[in-house]
Amino acid sequence: MSFFDLFKGPSAETLAAQQEGEARRADILLALHKGTVPTRVQQRLEGARSGKLPWIATLTPAELIAVRSHGIKPIASVSATCWLHHGWSWTEGHQQGWETALRRLRDEAVAAGANAVLDVKMRTIRLPVEESMDFTLIGTAVSVADLPPSPEPIVATVPTLEFVKLLEADVVPTGLAVGAAYEWLTDWQGNASQAWKGNIEAKKLSQLWNRVRHRSYAELRNNAQRRGNGVLAHLDFSQMFEVEQNEKMRYLARHIVVATTVDARAGAPFPHEIKMAVDMHAGATPLTGTNRHHQSYELNDEEGAI
Amino acid sequence: MTSEIPLHAKQRLKGLRSGVHSSGVFTSDFSVNEFLLVRKAGFEPIGLCVGSCVYHVGIQYTNWSKNQELDVLSKAMYHSRELALSRMRAEATAMGADGIVGVKLSIKRLEWDEHLLEFIAIGTGVVHGEGHKGFRAHDGGPFTSDLSGQDFWSLLHAGYRPVEMVMGSCVYHVAHRGVLASLGNIGRNVELENFTSAMYEAREIAIDRMQAEAGAAKAEGVVGVEVHEGSHVWKPHVIEFFAIGTAVLPLEQEIAPEKIADPIMVLSVND
Repeated sequence: MSFFDLFKGPSAETLAAQQEGEARRADILLALHKGTVPTRVQQRLEGARSGKLPWIATLTPAELIAVRSHGIKPIASVSATCWLHHGWSWTEGHQQGWETALRRLRDEAVAAGANAVLDVKMRTIRLPVEESMDFTLIGTAVSVADLPPSPEPIVATVPTLEFVKLLEADVVPTGLAVGAAYEWLTDWQGNASQAWKGNIEAKKLSQLWNRVRHRSYAELRNNAQRRGNGVLAHLDFSQMFEVEQNEKMRYLARHIVVATTVDARAGAPFPHEIKMAVDMHAGATPLTGTNRHHQSYELNDEEGAI
Repeated sequence: MTSEIPLHAKQRLKGLRSGVHSSGVFTSDFSVNEFLLVRKAGFEPIGLCVGSCVYHVGIQYTNWSKNQELDVLSKAMYHSRELALSRMRAEATAMGADGIVGVKLSIKRLEWDEHLLEFIAIGTGVVHGEGHKGFRAHDGGPFTSDLSGQDFWSLLHAGYRPVEMVMGSCVYHVAHRGVLASLGNIGRNVELENFTSAMYEAREIAIDRMQAEAGAAKAEGVVGVEVHEGSHVWKPHVIEFFAIGTAVLPLEQEIAPEKIADPIMVLSVND
């Protein structure tokens, strides 16, 4: 668009595109209200399900080999977002935000006729919008040979190679569980941080952390119970702040844990021998599965998660 | 050492040059593993292919309180990448390459003007060792792929061949929220549906476009899809959703599917 285009009216093409955009946005909002999948997404997923549209996979070719040898076929890319305003509690919003996104992701997977969603990544887009956070999940819906589409597809928040390893060991990843807790501590005596005391435990702060962490892990356990009998690979996010209010110090401790829930049979043997192997992959190897899979809490990585 | 050094390697060690390539030299940005696996897959590198494009991105005025796609910017991001990629592909065609692997597509800002962006596409042109033309894209030109050499080998062994690097872009303006609207939410955690729906729309447009490109390339599917969000040079509420992946087709006679070995599961004992 050049400067002079500003004085012209919009072209017929632009007008049509604008109208289409309006209709699409209205449809998305309606779908969010009704708790359904937006029409456009529905159409795309049905097209991929029937094979009319190309399938889409976030998997790498190596992962594609691994899933195909297990009878798994990619269908479509599915995703879900819940942008939440933390009017009440930032910490506890994480539970609500991820739960909502998880429900929506599952709805898309059902529309795609999937048995599972693999490689589900937690994503957060940072826009300067006060007191709010984006909870986005994105993954690949897949079907398993000889199984009918599932009314409740499983959601694997692990990389695909790890998913296959888990399956071989008779462990099924089932979704996400979140535990979040926070507490404010007002320092009435003014001695919580033990300033000027030399080597000494700051007991009040220790106890504060202890309570908050225990509560968040207890909540993680409660939430995980609905989906499986264990959790793996949790990620931690914790922060403590000192705020001065009415000449008293106040401390806020918050702790969030997010973990992959699994359903595992106790005592199931792992059927493989251990052999030495050379990994040809350049850079970080996918074999260890330690490459970063989520970026929603990376802020905390820089500070060093505890 | 008991392994035999191949004859050609011995000659090279003695200081003799290879005569395999027309200029006698191939260029590539392969790592050692990558190089070995591309050759294991039956391909030889012939030369680096580069395409670049300096693009002046136009201006689009946005409605402060409205979610909308910024089509002028979307088109700019599309057009400029397309130019860089097609130039790279033309170079590969001129070399007689059957395909380009390990394509890296990057964007650079030019310091003196925020509206100028440079797009660079670079990859290694390869030819099939036995002159098999079945690996070319649907239009008879070289295939393009952002897969590394390792991924390329893996893809062939998954029973697929790369056809074309496909992408979808959507530059989107996310509405600002009015102050009054935020006051209404104090004391409750509520979803900001406006923002949620903006993410839905922008992402959907990008994925839709990528899928349409894959359809046009007559592909069966797209692997290695990544959806990036970036803001490049724009204002904080303007983001680009960019979906990119490699469109693939099943191998027919190139490698018989029954010859594909099942992968071996490895549990790494490294931490």
